[in-house]
Amino acid sequence: MNDPSKMKHDCSNQKECLQLLQAILDGEATQAQKEHFMKEHLDSCMPCYQNYHLEVAIRDLLKKKCTREAPQELIESIKKQIQQNLRA
Amino acid sequence: MEEEIIKNNYTDAQKSRIFDQEFMPHINAMYNFAYRLTLDRDDAKDLLQDTYLKAYRFIDSFQEGTNAKAWLFRILKNSFINDYRKKSKEPAKVDYQEVETYYNSEDVDRQITPDLRVESLSNMIGDEISNALNALDVDFRTVIILCDLEGFKYEEMAKILDIPIGTVRSRLHRARNLLKEKLSEYAKSMGYKTA
Ligand SMILES: [Zn+2]
Repeated sequence: MNDPSKMKHDCSNQKECLQLLQAILDGEATQAQKEHFMKEHLDSCMPCYQNYHLEVAIRDLLKKKCTREAPQELIESIKKQIQQNLRA
Repeated sequence: MEEEIIKNNYTDAQKSRIFDQEFMPHINAMYNFAYRLTLDRDDAKDLLQDTYLKAYRFIDSFQEGTNAKAWLFRILKNSFINDYRKKSKEPAKVDYQEVETYYNSEDVDRQITPDLRVESLSNMIGDEISNALNALDVDFRTVIILCDLEGFKYEEMAKILDIPIGTVRSRLHRARNLLKEKLSEYAKSMGYKTA
């Protein structure tokens, strides 16, 4: 982690930063945007640094907690119906 | 599928192979999507089954080598809108435009819960995030599922949802703000320090 005492505690364009940050995490930002933001801005801006870690944590939590598998008997039933369709 | 009506004439063997190798591997992701849309296990089962049977029926319009997952998700989303949304227990839908205008307003931006902290998230080991996601309006819920859970690109999401890419971007941004608001409410009610 960077030296927090040297980081600014207000971000003048937090909304735009957050949008850019999300685009970066979504794999939708350009290489230049990514480099500038990750290497320069994040190191010096506390709100964006915190937002970044929050965004990452939420995504991890979503992936861990919000997926579920299809019931096995449902899968079998779908397969069976398709096979019957094929034979028909 | 309206825009590209390429008609293949797959043999039964080809159909069977496409179904098994390209469609079936997405069945868990598809079930999860169906469940998150309907919020009901039985409806999710029916929706998933309908979708896979439809996919089979329209298999000749699926181009091998293209994105089967996006193709399937689009069918599921359309089936949900046409067959399930009507009878779902959710309250009547608010007009899209209205919702987006509202969430676009400065007011909402000002209350972007900057007080939610990573530490309080790590305490959410139960169903908090799942409940928070389910509590969002279905259109906001959908973009979070497609992007954060399924890893679709904005362009793919635009096709699945039949909306412009700019709308994908802004809806996603608002959906995430709303999710954070919900999470921050949970954090507060659980008594974790948020700020
Ligand atoms: Zn910043």
